Amino acid sequence: MSDVVRNGKPAGALSPATGHRPGRRRTPLLAVAGVVVLCALVTVAVANGDMPLPPVDAVKGLFGVGDFATVLVVQEFRAPRMVAAIVAGAGLAVAGALLQRLFRNPLASPDVMGVTGGASFGAVAMLAAGASQALIPLAALGGGLLAAVLLGVFAWRAGVSVTRLVLVALAVQAGLYAAVNFMVVRFPAELAGSALQWTTGSVYGRTWTEVWSAGGAVAVALAVAFALHRRLAVLDLGDDSAGALGLNTHAARLQVLVVAIVPASLAASLAGPVAFVALAVPHMVRFLAGPPTAGTTALSGLAGAVLLLASDLVTQHLLPVSGLPVGVVTATLGAPWLLVLMIRQSSSVNRSVR
Amino acid sequence: MTANQLSTHGLDLRYGDRLIVGGLDLVLPGGAVTAVVGPNACGKSTLLRGLTRLLAPAAGTVALDGADIHRMPARALALRMGLLPQQPVTPDAITVEALVRLGRYPHQRLLSPWSSADHQAVEEALRRTGTAPLRDQPVDQLSGGQRQRAWIALALAQDTDLLLLDEPTTFLDLRHQLDVLDLVAALHSEAGRTVVMVLHDLGQAARYADHLVVLKDGQLAAAGAPADVLDAELVKSVFDVDCRVIPDPETGTPLVVPKSSAQRHPAVTA
Repeated sequence: MSDVVRNGKPAGALSPATGHRPGRRRTPLLAVAGVVVLCALVTVAVANGDMPLPPVDAVKGLFGVGDFATVLVVQEFRAPRMVAAIVAGAGLAVAGALLQRLFRNPLASPDVMGVTGGASFGAVAMLAAGASQALIPLAALGGGLLAAVLLGVFAWRAGVSVTRLVLVALAVQAGLYAAVNFMVVRFPAELAGSALQWTTGSVYGRTWTEVWSAGGAVAVALAVAFALHRRLAVLDLGDDSAGALGLNTHAARLQVLVVAIVPASLAASLAGPVAFVALAVPHMVRFLAGPPTAGTTALSGLAGAVLLLASDLVTQHLLPVSGLPVGVVTATLGAPWLLVLMIRQSSSVNRSVR
Repeated sequence: MTANQLSTHGLDLRYGDRLIVGGLDLVLPGGAVTAVVGPNACGKSTLLRGLTRLLAPAAGTVALDGADIHRMPARALALRMGLLPQQPVTPDAITVEALVRLGRYPHQRLLSPWSSADHQAVEEALRRTGTAPLRDQPVDQLSGGQRQRAWIALALAQDTDLLLLDEPTTFLDLRHQLDVLDLVAALHSEAGRTVVMVLHDLGQAARYADHLVVLKDGQLAAAGAPADVLDAELVKSVFDVDCRVIPDPETGTPLVVPKSSAQRHPAVTA
C-alpha cells in the first residue's frame, strides 16, 4: 500500500486493464499549464514594484517597447531578478530530478547532498578574496564539485550505500554552511551586500552579467542532460542489465552526476542555497505526471522555475516584512515536506526488485 | 559451424578474496542450447557474469569465437550477446513496451532517432514472447510469468545471436516454467539463437538442452550431451543425492528420480 502512495497512483491501478497511466497523456497538458502560469508570473513580476506599471506596458517594456523610463525599470531592475529566479529554479529542479533518479532515493538532491552549500562556499570564498563578480559562477561550480568530491571520498569508498551517502551528505552540507557563515562574519565588508544570498538564498540585486553567464551554462547543462536521457533510462535497469546492454555504468553515472552538479551549482551562484526546490519539485511532478521520463524531467525544470519565481514574488509583495530572502519562503515550505518524506521513506520498501 | 561459440580458458572468477570459479576450461557450443546446472553456490551465476563481462576474470580468458570479450568494446559485445539477470531491477511503473524498447540501446547512437529497425525488433520481440497485448501495462503489476516474458522480450529486442539466461524459471509455477522453456526452445529452433541458461531442475535441463555443463564448487564436474553425462553416479557426486536416472517416459531424455528418504538416510530412519 505504501508503494502505491509513493508512486502517486490511485489504488485502482491494481487492476491493470483499467488502470490509467497519467504520464504520457498528462505531461503535454501540464507543460502547457506550466508555461501559462510562468507567463502570468512573469507579467506580475515585471508589472509590480516600487513603481507599479500597467501589465501590458510592463510586458511591452520587457521587449524594449514603450517609453524610456518603463523600459529601464523593467529591463534593468526587474527582469534580471525575474530571469535569475527562473534559471535557478529550473536548474535546481532538473538537478534534483536527475539525482533522485540516479540514486533511486527521494532524498537525493543538490541541497541535501551539499552541492548548493559547496557552491555558496566557493562563491563566498571568491568574494572574500576580493575577486571579480564575473568569477562567481566558476567559483560556485568549483565549490559544488568540491562538495561532490568530499562526498565521494567519504561515502563512496565501500560501495555506495544510499543511506550512508545521504548521511555523509548531510554532514558535508552542514560543514560547508558553517564555513559560509564563518566567512560572512569574518569578512563583513567584502560580503556586506550579499550575505543573505549565500546563507539563505536570494535573487535580490542580480545583474544581467551574472544572469547571462550562469543562465547560458545552465541551458547547456540541461541540453546535455536530455542527450544523456537514454543512458539514464538504461541505468534504471540496474548494473547487470545495463552492462549487458553495452552501457559503461560507471562512466554513465559520473556523466549524469556532473550534468546534475553543474546546473545546481550555477543556480546557487545566482540564488544561493535555496532550499526545497530541488528536493520537492521532482516529487510534485511525479505525483502529477507519473514515473520519470525525459518529458517529466523537462516538466520538473518548468515547475522549478514557476515555484522559485512564485516564491520570490511572495517575498517581494505578499509578506508583511520587507527584504526577506526567497530562501526563507522555500525553506518554510521545505521543512514539513522533508519530514513527510522521511516518514514515508522509513515506512516503505524502497523499490520493487523483479 | 563454430559461430557464437563461447569458451573459457583457465578462468578464475573472484569476489574480493573469495575464489568462486577456479581454472575453468569450457566450450559452450555455438548454435546449441546449453544448460548450466549445479548445487547452490557452485558458481553458476558467477560464471554467467564472467561470460558476459559483468565480472572481470582474476585469471584466464573468456573468448567469443576466439576473440577475448574483455578486449571488445562493450557495445560491440552487446550487439552479439544478451543477458537476462537472475533478479533484474524493474524501474518503477515502466510499461512493457518501454522496457522492451530499452533493449535497442546498443543499436542506437547518442542522439539517433528511433529507427524502423528498432520498431521492427521491438514488435518482433513482443510478438514472440506473447507480450504484445500487455504492452501498455506497468511491468511491476504483471504476474511472475508475464514479467519474465517481458524481460525475455527486452533481451530479444537486443537482437543478439547469443542469449544468456540466469535461472529464467525460478519463482515460476510449473506451467509458466514450461512456457519460458518452450519459448527458449522456439528461439533456438526457429530463430537460430545460441542459448546458455542456468537451470535448477535436472529433468528440464535434460529435456531442453543439447549440451549440459555441470559445475561443483566452481569446477567443471561434467560436460556433454545430457544423455551421455547425466547418470546416478554424477548426481551422487555433485549433489550428494542417491537416485536412479531413468529415461523420461515422454521424451526419452534422462530423468532423475531421487531414492526414498529411507534409502537415502538409512541411519536416521532406522
